[in-house]
Amino acid sequence: MSNVTATGIYHRTYASELRLRSTRAEYVRLGLMVVLLLVLPFVLDNYWLSIVNTILIAVIGAVGLNILVGYTGQISLGQGGFMAVGAYSSAILAERMGMPVPVAIVLAVLLTAAIGTFFGLPGLRLKGLYLAIATLASQQIIEFVIRRWGWLTEDRGYITLDRLSIFGWTLPRESFEQSWYWILMLLALLAVLAARNLFRTGLGRSFMAVRDQDIAAEAIGVNLTTAKLTAFAVSSGFVGLAGALTAHYTETVTWEAFTLNVSITYLAMIIVGGLGSIAGAVYGAIFMSLLPVLIRTVADVVGPAAPWLSNQLPAIQNAVFGLVIILFLIIEPRGLNRLWERMKEYVRYWPFRY
Amino acid sequence: MNARRGALIASLAALALGLSACGGGDGGDNGSAGSGDGGEPIKVGIIADLTGATGDVGKPYNEGMLAYIDYRNANGGVDGRQIQATSNDYAYEVPKAEQLYKQYVNDGVVAVQGWGTGDTEALHTKVAQDELPFMSGSFAESLTDPAEAPYNFVSAPTYSDQMRIALNWINEDSGGDAEVAVFHHDSPFGLAPVADGEAWVSEKGYGLGYQAYAMPAGQQNYVGLLSQAQSQGAKYIVIQNVASPAAQVAKDIKAQGLDMKIVCLNWCANELFITTAGADVAEGHMGVQPFAPIAAEKPGHEEMVSYLEDKGQDPATKGTSWVQGWMVMHVMAEGMAKAAEDGEVDGPSIKEALETMGGIDTGGVIGDGTVEFSAESHRGSTSAGVYTMEGGKMVEVEAGATP
Repeated sequence: MSNVTATGIYHRTYASELRLRSTRAEYVRLGLMVVLLLVLPFVLDNYWLSIVNTILIAVIGAVGLNILVGYTGQISLGQGGFMAVGAYSSAILAERMGMPVPVAIVLAVLLTAAIGTFFGLPGLRLKGLYLAIATLASQQIIEFVIRRWGWLTEDRGYITLDRLSIFGWTLPRESFEQSWYWILMLLALLAVLAARNLFRTGLGRSFMAVRDQDIAAEAIGVNLTTAKLTAFAVSSGFVGLAGALTAHYTETVTWEAFTLNVSITYLAMIIVGGLGSIAGAVYGAIFMSLLPVLIRTVADVVGPAAPWLSNQLPAIQNAVFGLVIILFLIIEPRGLNRLWERMKEYVRYWPFRY
Repeated sequence: MNARRGALIASLAALALGLSACGGGDGGDNGSAGSGDGGEPIKVGIIADLTGATGDVGKPYNEGMLAYIDYRNANGGVDGRQIQATSNDYAYEVPKAEQLYKQYVNDGVVAVQGWGTGDTEALHTKVAQDELPFMSGSFAESLTDPAEAPYNFVSAPTYSDQMRIALNWINEDSGGDAEVAVFHHDSPFGLAPVADGEAWVSEKGYGLGYQAYAMPAGQQNYVGLLSQAQSQGAKYIVIQNVASPAAQVAKDIKAQGLDMKIVCLNWCANELFITTAGADVAEGHMGVQPFAPIAAEKPGHEEMVSYLEDKGQDPATKGTSWVQGWMVMHVMAEGMAKAAEDGEVDGPSIKEALETMGGIDTGGVIGDGTVEFSAESHRGSTSAGVYTMEGGKMVEVEAGATP
């Protein structure tokens, strides 16, 4: 785990052992990251900043899904549905019932956690593929509800939201993306920190015990029911937050943004990033969100030379998408996070192999 | 452990991340890149469905649009300025449309041409905030109210108006007591006219039965749906979907030997429906189509035909969807030309031009020939033609029918 550090690092106090970072290089990287994140909104134009913003939302969603799939071992195809619960409930509470947006978002998170727990109930009896089908059912049920229950959208099929306003302060139009960047960055940071620290607590460890061997976990005193349902609740809470933020950020809620495709994209994010690693969820969210954008950019550059390329773009995007997942499963099943760790190790041990 | 080396690698990685994020690019320029005499080109963003669920009609629509831009640019452009269009495929997926829209806004377009009902509805608040006139292949009723969607313009009769026209025709054809089944695409696009049609039947006091059925996506055939319609006793099937699934319904009706008549609205009332189903299968079915096909030889078709002949293409191969794309772009360009005449060409000025310029002449191609917007209504036209499929062609039964 993270406590495997370089030789020459000795912990003399418990506090030092508990730190998330213990080498100078780690602090330097942290510093660089902070500088990068602070500079980003000032150097990127609105288009690229909007992509960064969608990535930040995806980070929250992917971290949430990784808690359930990567850490607790409960596969879920219901991501899109749970995001929809967060988006619709937050939109309805804020827009129609006139609640302040932060309150609406908090309630939406709690509601998604509750609904996630409910759909997690089959997880008590089902494992693996069977659970995948059960969560697929939850996706279909939620999708059915948001499409067919007319009162949700007052029979219009979609909900529009006003521009975000927090206790009287409305986001200025000129700096829409910049303002959202700070809000989303703050929330994504909190989400990552919360998840990172969750797995240093007894609760988080019980999730991992359930993943590694549920019978053994039960034998050492982990309450399977509590652990599994809490995992569903915590994970759905994060996902609900991502959904609610999608709603307020895009200012429209339609069922078409929360289909099974979304669930699969998120699964791909955590597989490519690295199952069972918070940093992996972040890398995966960045990678899978940038992939289609970069493919389009490439297609635009070579477009004039190969018009068939831009004609077939969505098909190519799907193909590359599939290819990436297969390649990762074969070459590095533990994802981008493991690749990054291997790079660091290589540098650290050089010129020795290990 | 070499902390300095670690830091170096980290800074390189950060730099690489920053560089890759900065490497922005423009969309594929499919319009004419040549600069006109009158200054800066006018930028337009096009969100097209070339490969998605509605790609069968979306692709010709997009081609028609680009053809019009090509034609217009070759003939002096808009007030001497070229139209520079960026067209990208969004495969009928709303999130992709949102992404493209943001890209276009950032590129500084003055207007956007969209496509589906779902994405048009999803974007309508944004285009109002960004003050960008937005036309699309969607003719949903909710988009015609400027109080609700101030920057959306619907250049043809809405799906609801088309449904009303279809029901009027059915009422007359059947003598006033038939069962009508409505097969619709399972999306905001499909659902758009369903409730308004039902209201129309009761408002007019027609003795028609009315029942709506969603067409499940990815179906091999619609026999199941047809047997439901059969137990309803339906003699008429109004289809609000694109051509390929509608043609499948026609084939199934033929194969099952049912006595049912299809009345296609807009996106399946076209040549593609006939060619996909086969001329003998399509024979006798009906279509409500606001845009006259090239074969109808209205005055507005002349420039299309001359353009196509110049390019060495056969006008007979261009279907109604192509005409729609051409015509919607024409309406937008006329608005731009008027705005250019009055001064600046930007979003608000195009909107004002479209609202105040009076009727835009389409040479008889759209409805009764004139598209007119006002500050109170963005419903460009209320009339459509009624066609019957005869000998592999769309034959006009009634021109300029209104609800």
